[in-house]
Amino acid sequence: MNSLSIVTTLIGRELRTAARTRSYYLLGLAVGGILLGLTFGGGGAATGYIPTVVDLLLPLEVLVPIVAVAIGYRAIPSDLDRGEVAMLDTYAVSPATYVGAVYLGRAAVLSAIVGVALLVVGLVVALVAAPDTGVFATHSGVDSPILFGRFLVVTLVFGNALVAVVLLASIVVSTARTAIVAAIAAVLVVVVGGEAAIVLGVLDGVFTETTLQLALGFIPNSAYRGLVFETVIGVLSAGESGYASPLVSAVGLLLWTGGSLGAAAGLLRWRVG
Amino acid sequence: MTDADEATSRGEPTDNDGDTSVVTTTGLTKEYGGRPIFEGVDLDIAPGAMTAVIGPNGIGKTTLLKTLLGHVDPTAGTVTYTGPDVDRPMGYLPQEPAFRPQFTVSETVDFYASLVDAAVDTEELLCEVNLYEARNRRVSALSGGMRRLLAVGQAVLGTPPVVCCDEPASGLDPSMARRVFESLAGRAADGMAVVVASHTLSLVETYADHVVILESGGVAAAGSPTELIERYDAADLWAVYDAVIDPAAGTTPPDEPTAADPQAGDEPATTVGAPRRGDDSSAERDAAASDAISDSGGQP
Repeated sequence: MNSLSIVTTLIGRELRTAARTRSYYLLGLAVGGILLGLTFGGGGAATGYIPTVVDLLLPLEVLVPIVAVAIGYRAIPSDLDRGEVAMLDTYAVSPATYVGAVYLGRAAVLSAIVGVALLVVGLVVALVAAPDTGVFATHSGVDSPILFGRFLVVTLVFGNALVAVVLLASIVVSTARTAIVAAIAAVLVVVVGGEAAIVLGVLDGVFTETTLQLALGFIPNSAYRGLVFETVIGVLSAGESGYASPLVSAVGLLLWTGGSLGAAAGLLRWRVG
Repeated sequence: MTDADEATSRGEPTDNDGDTSVVTTTGLTKEYGGRPIFEGVDLDIAPGAMTAVIGPNGIGKTTLLKTLLGHVDPTAGTVTYTGPDVDRPMGYLPQEPAFRPQFTVSETVDFYASLVDAAVDTEELLCEVNLYEARNRRVSALSGGMRRLLAVGQAVLGTPPVVCCDEPASGLDPSMARRVFESLAGRAADGMAVVVASHTLSLVETYADHVVILESGGVAAAGSPTELIERYDAADLWAVYDAVIDPAAGTTPPDEPTAADPQAGDEPATTVGAPRRGDDSSAERDAAASDAISDSGGQP
């Protein structure tokens, strides 16, 4: 068996598992309902894509980590509890292959849940936004579905980085029952702790303007916010956002993803033997 | 490099040099937190034979199996695989196997079958483990015994040269337990090296070709069931077990090999003739042994 077909088989297993898990459908409905409610409640739907993004940015910083925890925390610990990881090890499925495939499968599930919800929101904006406010333009650019598409992609990159963090945290503990605690704690540490550390650093004068921007790029939430400001909202606003450059933020999120998956694979190799 | 580092990796065959064993352990020692689980275990696992590892709970049977599989690193000693170079050299039946509850029996077998190169006749395999009628049932709807049968099917998928089964009969009714051992003995007859850790001594006596009795520290006795029964002048394997594990309660063994001299009783497993039928009277004692606290393999 080559690695590609093993990965494909394992991803298919994750997707079929998700497709048969009723709670994921409920989660999708809940996420969609919340985002639509915020879209209508915030008035963004009537004014255009960028106002909608502004309405949804902060709620998504909370909602996406919750979705990441919900779909990621049990995946590997349950397989460990059932002995399936040990069984899979006899099929030449390396820990790295297994972790990578589980990640890709779960990332696809998060992308489906959050992505579909945002697509519906975008569709609603396209249908509901008033003609006179449907085009929102400045000297820098013009409101358009493309900007909303960027927002969607950036949101998924952020969410999938958190899925990797959740997978790593779930392997640290010994059982599926404690995995949810570990996953929530890890997300809180990464999301809240990282920004709190930066605030403290600013108050203590640790950061210069340059190092602060760099540091913001390496905190997932800040990186996400920075990417949204720099590549979506920033198009229509004058001046600098104060966040890291899109490149630094993107690298930051990719490092969280890759680093977490690498550590998860190493930890799993150690646990299985 | 530590001794543990010298252990040969699974799936990396070495020259057989005419040796008939497919897995060899030399001076295998495992400690957890300085507490020895077993020491100096030398085993030769022969192809075409069923090797049974028996012993009290917590004595290290599970750890020994996991060490053979490469899932646990030995503190000292080596595990050497000398079988054919295949993509799945060893199959594994864990002590408490389970599968994703969302899938049916057929889908579960198909999933694992898709991970091996060899063509697998799923229906034949399900018939072998008596799950054909339940093939469309979700795993969540299976009893514990049926899940174990499914795990037995998974363990032998792709016909690996070696299969390690941890309590294959645990939780099964007597006829199904016998069927599982018959199936594994059939696999052994076809050339597979079957290693089972079990408390079901009547089935071990009936179907195993080689028995290894673990006692504190390592191998206390080893040999074919017939040899052991003769050596200990015992009525059956139960009496041998009593004599080895608790000599004060049973037959006094003559020249009993000890953990300090594990080689003495650690003869290579050899294929024997037709399976012997067990003594029905021992079924109740087996059940009592099976119901005992699970062997944790000495892990903390």
